[in-house]
Amino acid sequence: MRTNPVCMTLALIFLAAINGCKKDDEVTAPPPIVNEEEVITTMIFAFTGQGGADDKELRFTDADGDGGGVPVFDLDTLQAASDYSASIILLNETADPVDTISNEVLEEGTDHQFFFQATGSDITFVYADADANGAPIGLATNATTGTPSVGTVKVTLRHQPDKSGSGVSGGDITNAGGETDIEVTFPLVIE
Amino acid sequence: MLHFRTFCSILCAPLFLLVQGQVTECSLLLSGSVLDEHNKEPLAFAEVFLPQLEKGAVADESGHFLITGLCPGRYVVRVMHLGCTPMDRTISLEKDLVIDFRLEHHAHELHEFEVAQQRPDEGVGQPQQQVDKDRMERNTGRSLGEMLATIPGVNMLQTGPTISKPVIHGLSGNRVLTLNQGIRQEDQQWGTEHAPNLDPFSSDRVTVVKGAASVQYGSDAIGGVVITEPVELPREAGISGEVRGIGLFNGKGGGGNGLLQGGVKGIRGLGWRVQGSGRYIGDSDASSYVLSNTGLRESAASASVGYRDHRWNASAFYSYFQRELGILRASHIGNLTDLENAISSGTPWYVGEFSYAIDAPRQDVEHHLLKAEAGYAIKDRSRIVLTYGYQADDRQEFDLRRGGRSSTPAIDLFLVTQTADVVLKHWIGKSIHGKVGVSGAYQENTNIPGTGIRPLVPNYRKQSGGVFLLEHYPISTKMEMEAGARLEATRLDVAKYTYENLFITPQHAFTNSAFSIGANWSVKDSLRMRFNVSSAYRPPHVSELYSEGLHHGAAAVERGDATLNSERSLKATADLEADWLKGRLSTDITLYADRINDFIYLRPDGVQLTIRGAFPVFQYVATDAFLYGIDATLQYRFARAWSIRSRTSLVRGRDLNRNEWLFQVPSDRTENALLVTLPKAGSWSALEMSASSTVVFEQSRIPVGLDFSGPPSTYHLVGLSATATRTLGKNELRVGLQANNILNTAYRDYMDRFRYYADARGTDVTFWVRYSFGKH
Repeated sequence: MRTNPVCMTLALIFLAAINGCKKDDEVTAPPPIVNEEEVITTMIFAFTGQGGADDKELRFTDADGDGGGVPVFDLDTLQAASDYSASIILLNETADPVDTISNEVLEEGTDHQFFFQATGSDITFVYADADANGAPIGLATNATTGTPSVGTVKVTLRHQPDKSGSGVSGGDITNAGGETDIEVTFPLVIE
Repeated sequence: MLHFRTFCSILCAPLFLLVQGQVTECSLLLSGSVLDEHNKEPLAFAEVFLPQLEKGAVADESGHFLITGLCPGRYVVRVMHLGCTPMDRTISLEKDLVIDFRLEHHAHELHEFEVAQQRPDEGVGQPQQQVDKDRMERNTGRSLGEMLATIPGVNMLQTGPTISKPVIHGLSGNRVLTLNQGIRQEDQQWGTEHAPNLDPFSSDRVTVVKGAASVQYGSDAIGGVVITEPVELPREAGISGEVRGIGLFNGKGGGGNGLLQGGVKGIRGLGWRVQGSGRYIGDSDASSYVLSNTGLRESAASASVGYRDHRWNASAFYSYFQRELGILRASHIGNLTDLENAISSGTPWYVGEFSYAIDAPRQDVEHHLLKAEAGYAIKDRSRIVLTYGYQADDRQEFDLRRGGRSSTPAIDLFLVTQTADVVLKHWIGKSIHGKVGVSGAYQENTNIPGTGIRPLVPNYRKQSGGVFLLEHYPISTKMEMEAGARLEATRLDVAKYTYENLFITPQHAFTNSAFSIGANWSVKDSLRMRFNVSSAYRPPHVSELYSEGLHHGAAAVERGDATLNSERSLKATADLEADWLKGRLSTDITLYADRINDFIYLRPDGVQLTIRGAFPVFQYVATDAFLYGIDATLQYRFARAWSIRSRTSLVRGRDLNRNEWLFQVPSDRTENALLVTLPKAGSWSALEMSASSTVVFEQSRIPVGLDFSGPPSTYHLVGLSATATRTLGKNELRVGLQANNILNTAYRDYMDRFRYYADARGTDVTFWVRYSFGKH
């Protein structure tokens, strides 16, 4: 009777040790993230010329998503004094097949809005789409260029913005709130 | 039930006494002897303690003790001695009292839980503070971090109103070890927004050791140790328990906890306990707006059973803890521009209506602990104790995601840890006693597949083993010393995929050692000093070695460094406890200095551009750090029922290599309170009321260029509290009210990571009622 408790507890420790030592094999890792769904690698800002102007494209690519790789711009120049119908396509090119994220943005239109801020370059944007509540999203816009100029256009995508905030549905980001999902400043040359 | 007359007499009595100028000298003496119940032999160095007054004395070699400076009243006296069952006796003190206490002494045993209670014997020289049941109860409804923050030298590192981690002497996170029932708590404590997953009420007492304590407790005990002490199970038949209801007005929530314990008729020495807690809170309120999505749900339960007799003891303990909480909606930002907008706007960008709902972003954690222990007296005075612990921690974090994926976790971690210890408690000769032991741990961290997001912390396996020795030597009746050493080896196996999708399995091995020397010196009855020099260590955590990628919650990219070494610290503390003016004034001052080599922290290292915009890049680096400070408590009883109490703490942290201040070190703070204690007022007893003022100064010692915004300004909060007890037959009813920030001051705290986005909580009132029954 006296030795039993000692035996039992020693056995317990022994079992624990055995259990621990069993796993001398490799520590397994989760499978590689083939489709990291939150990643957006590519933004294509496509300008379709209206009334004779050529089609142009501004492209931003950050191939490794959140990794340390430097993003790359692939830029056309826009024609001055022209009208374009602009659309934004977002892709996750780390996925196979390539995932079109802009479709998700469209499906959750009430939760998203794009904002365009031109600095130095003479271009204006007017929203050409609407979400389920009639507020703009910005995947499709009408862009009008003015005089030849060199500058930038900053494209910001806000998640869950306050679309009823003052000036927000007109394209003013000041009272929009929400979280920034995309913030890309494109160098823009209008000639 | 609280009649107007009673109400008036409660308020008026102390005023009456004060106006009369009746400053009664509270100078009663309590003295006597502590003897062995069976053979009437004196029990040398027994401890006689009055928990309500936090006053006590150690008996001398002939068992004789003397406590001075007491006021008339009814007190619980706790008598403790190595090898004896502790005894609580209630006494009524009207004049000088001589009383003998007889303890049941089982010759030459050393029970682990009793050794833990013997402050003179454990952690000699280390400054430590206990938060006993009484103090825990006053802070009922709050988290463990908030409960401990009332101790000078202990602060909180908060992430909004519901997440807080203890900070001891300027250090937190991986540098504060938490013991749950004596087992190292492993619950992803590396995360700054990961609060400890344990219910303080699963224990009867929480002890905070404010020192480097790796010899006793192993790695990570650099800042200090938070110990939830194992419960003392009943040994005699009879059922007792308590039940507590809590109302939390800020958050419009409530909670409750209760316990039931008893012995078993016919089997003396066998006892059991079951216990449970829960909290349900909605959005917290800042002083002028709702902090949307800060709700909390928490539930916990524990069960334990144990048997003890002369020769051996065995116990088993199981606890379950679950917590779901929302992360402030307005703290969820996309990139650096969002953060800068939040800082410059001054109000949260998202404020909704009050709601109990918890939406993304949110956390959901579950923690299981199973502990088994057995001890056996192998010879006259030696005892061997074997302890086994099994923990499983399941953490899921949900983020705001597109495509309906907000209900798929963004982080899904499962951590299993097994620990085993064998400790031999022994005596060498007549007076030297100590322990020698071997301990081991085995841990596996697994990312559960299915998140669709690159893991923040990779899968890993960690194994460690150590040996330690700790010897205690009483030099004289007034001085005792303790010295010890530990040697520990840790092995880390990691498995992860890099950004290029290469599978790598790096391995690390760390070997560390620690020593400690401490002394307690009772210069005289009214002056006690403690000194300690200890070293401690902490191997780098996997997150510090292998972080790679965007940490959304921090709007920053974090990069680990796989070449980091273990942190090593050397800390010296001096603690002075003194009574003056015949016991009317008591002071407790702790001075400390801590040098940490290879101190690991995050440092800005450029900016990274992604499609989301710019993110600052933070790199884990190592430096040599030096922290030093002072904790001071002062209590002065200037009238029979009135006293003032002051608690102040100052801490400084220096980066020695760069010759600048360390980031996120708590600023100076002082809490001053006016207390009223009435032993009796009508049919209520043990009435205590206080009004307190807390000033937290602006942190002016900050490193340049390491923070997104300047530190918040100095702020001042006023609080009130009251508790009263009422006997109902053989049972007891206790009620309490605690109101913090009654002036609804708007403020932000430097140690709150959400200070960039929103103010801290406004007025916060908690009301609780506790009913306890059965024999205690």
